[in-house]
Amino acid sequence: MITAKKLVKSYGSGELELTVLKSLDLEIQDGEFVAIIGPSGAGKSTLLYQLSLLDAPTSGEVYVDGVKTSELNEVEKTQLRLRKLGYVFQDYALLPELTAIENVMLPMLMQGLSREVALEKARRALARISLSDKEQNLPNQLSGGQQQRVSIARAIGHDPHILFADEPTANLDSMSAKLVMDAFLDLHHKDKQTVIMVTHEEEYAAYAERIIALSDGLVVRDERKKK
Amino acid sequence: MLRNNMRFLPLRVGFFLATRQIRRSGKGTTSLIVFIMMLTFLNMVVVSGLLVGLIAGSFKQFRESYSGEVIVTSAQGRDYIEESPELIAFLESHSRVTAISPRYGVNVQVLGTLNDLPEKNERPNRIGVRLSGIDLEREEKVTGFSRFIIEGEPLTKGEEGYILAGANFLRKYSTFADANIPGLDLLSDVEVGSRVRITLTTKEGTKVVKDFIVKGIVKSKVDEISTRFFITDNELRRLLPVNKEQVQEIAIKTDYEYAPTLVQEIKDFMGSHAARVQTTDEAIPSFLRDIETTFRILGNALSSFALIVASITIFIVIFINAVTKRKFIGIMKGIGISPLAIQFSYIFQALFYGVVGSAIGLVLTFGFLQPYFDLHPINFPFSDGILVATPAGAALRILILLTVTLIAGYLPAKLIVRKNTLDSILGR
Repeated sequence: MITAKKLVKSYGSGELELTVLKSLDLEIQDGEFVAIIGPSGAGKSTLLYQLSLLDAPTSGEVYVDGVKTSELNEVEKTQLRLRKLGYVFQDYALLPELTAIENVMLPMLMQGLSREVALEKARRALARISLSDKEQNLPNQLSGGQQQRVSIARAIGHDPHILFADEPTANLDSMSAKLVMDAFLDLHHKDKQTVIMVTHEEEYAAYAERIIALSDGLVVRDERKKK
Repeated sequence: MLRNNMRFLPLRVGFFLATRQIRRSGKGTTSLIVFIMMLTFLNMVVVSGLLVGLIAGSFKQFRESYSGEVIVTSAQGRDYIEESPELIAFLESHSRVTAISPRYGVNVQVLGTLNDLPEKNERPNRIGVRLSGIDLEREEKVTGFSRFIIEGEPLTKGEEGYILAGANFLRKYSTFADANIPGLDLLSDVEVGSRVRITLTTKEGTKVVKDFIVKGIVKSKVDEISTRFFITDNELRRLLPVNKEQVQEIAIKTDYEYAPTLVQEIKDFMGSHAARVQTTDEAIPSFLRDIETTFRILGNALSSFALIVASITIFIVIFINAVTKRKFIGIMKGIGISPLAIQFSYIFQALFYGVVGSAIGLVLTFGFLQPYFDLHPINFPFSDGILVATPAGAALRILILLTVTLIAGYLPAKLIVRKNTLDSILGR
C-alpha cells in the first residue's frame, strides 16, 4: 500500500516559487491498477516521482507499506526502491551496453540473487512479455515497443510490490502501445500486481480500474470502475 | 533462493557493469586509452631506465672491460700489492673465482718520434702514461682484451719489442684530438707500425729505456684501457729493476653477488693494509655515482610528470564517460542499483585500462626494448647506454600507476553519481 499525506511539491523560491502539488492526499491499495491523468502541467509526473521516491516532496509524507519515507536516507531509499518498487520510463531507459536479458537481470543481481537464479528469472520475465527470442539483443537492436516491453520485464523481474509507469506509451505506435498495455493488464490480472501509471491518453487510462484525475496540483476526480 | 554475501554485492554488480561497458564500448576509444596507459608506463619505466642506463652502462663496461667483479690494487702510498704471489695462489684456488688477471703497472714516458730535441722551440713529442704488463691469456679471460684493438693486431705470447697503444693519447685516434685542452699532450704521428721509446725512471733516478713497435691501437669507453699502453707481463717484469714478482692490480671475475664476500675473504687473507680491495661498484669513481643519482632523480621527475598526465587522462576519460551516461546513472540509481556499485563499475574500467596498458608495456619493456638495448646499446661518448629495468622496479611503478588510476577513476564517478537521481534521469 502507498499513501500520500498533504503532499506539497514546489520549485523555485520567493516570487518565482511554483507549487506543482498542493497538499495532495492519496491512498492506493495493494493490487490496484491506477491511472493518473490530467492535462499537461497538472502535476501527474511530479506526483509519480514523489510516490516512487525518485524525488522528495517539499512537505507532506509518503508511506510505502507503512514505512515513513521522509525518515530514510538516500541509501535506504535506494534499497527500498530495489526491494519494493519497479519503474517503466517514458523513453524505456534501458542501459545501452547491456543486452535485453542483462538489463532485466541487473536489479536481481543487486538484490543478491545468484547469476543463475537471476538469469532464470529474467528469462521468465522476458517470456512473459513474449520477447524470449530477443534476450541477447542490445537495446539498439530492438524496436521502441520491444524496448518498452523489456523495460517492463526489468521492472517486474525482481517482484516489486508496486510498478510505476511514466507515460509508457507516449513514444510508441498504437500497435506497440496496445502490447505494452496488455502486458500491464496481464500482470494486474494474473499477479495482482499494483500498477500506478501516468498517462495523458484517455484510451490507455481506460485499461486501469481506478482513474485519478489531477488539475493544477490537486485531485479533481478519483473514480473506480465498477466490477 | 541463493543469496550471496551482501557486502560484496556492489563489487559484483560493479564488475558486471564494467565488463559489459568495456566489451561493448567503442574499440577505437578503448584502444586509444589503453595506448595512452601503455605510453605512460613506458614513460615511467623506459625513460628513467634509459637515463639510469647511460651510467649503468658505463658501470657495466668498467666491470667487464677492466675491473672484473673485484679489483685489488696497491695500497695508498705503495708501489705494489704486497705478497702478490700468495694472493694470486689464494685466488687461483678459490672455488668461486672464475678468472683473474694480475697486471704490472708503472708510469713511463713515451717518446713518439724518437727525437727528443725538435726544431723551432717545439715541445718534444712525448707524454707520460701508465704502462701495463698483462698476461695475455688471463686478461682475455677476464676482460676479452683483444676486442679493444681497433687497429693492428694483438700481442702474442713470448714476443718482445711490441706494444699496444691507448687511443686517447694518440692524436690520430683520440676523441680529444680536436679539443684544445691546456696541458693535454697527445702523441703525433704515432700509429700501427710506428716506433716509440719508453723511458722508465726508478726511485733512485736510474733510467731504463727501450724502443717498441706499436703493434695495435686499443680503444674503449673505459679510460683505464684507452689511456694506457700495454706490453706482455714478462717483458715489463724484465724492465723493472726491483720487485719483479709484485703486481700492481689484480682483476678478479666472480659472481657479482659474491663480490662483497670475496672482498672480505681477501682482506682476511692478507690483512687490510697490504692492498686496496674493492668490489667493482666501490671502485667506480664517485662523480659517476653522483651522475647516476642525478639521472635517477631526473628519471623519477619525468615519471611523475607522466603519472600526472596519465591520471588527468583517466580522470577526463572517466568523467566524460560518466557525464555522457549521467542519465543512465540516474536510471540505475532509480531502479535500485547502489551508488557504490555504479562507482565500482567506473573504477573497474579505469583499472582495466591501467592493467592492460601496463601489461602491454611490461611485455614491450622486458620482451623487446630491454633485449634490444642490450644488443644495440645507445652509443654515448662515455658509455654504451642500456635500459635498466628490474621486475621489482616495474612492479612498483605498476602499483603506483594503478593506485593513481584508481583514484582518477573513482573521483569523477563519485562526482556524477552523487547528483540528484531525478535530475540525472531528466537531464536537468
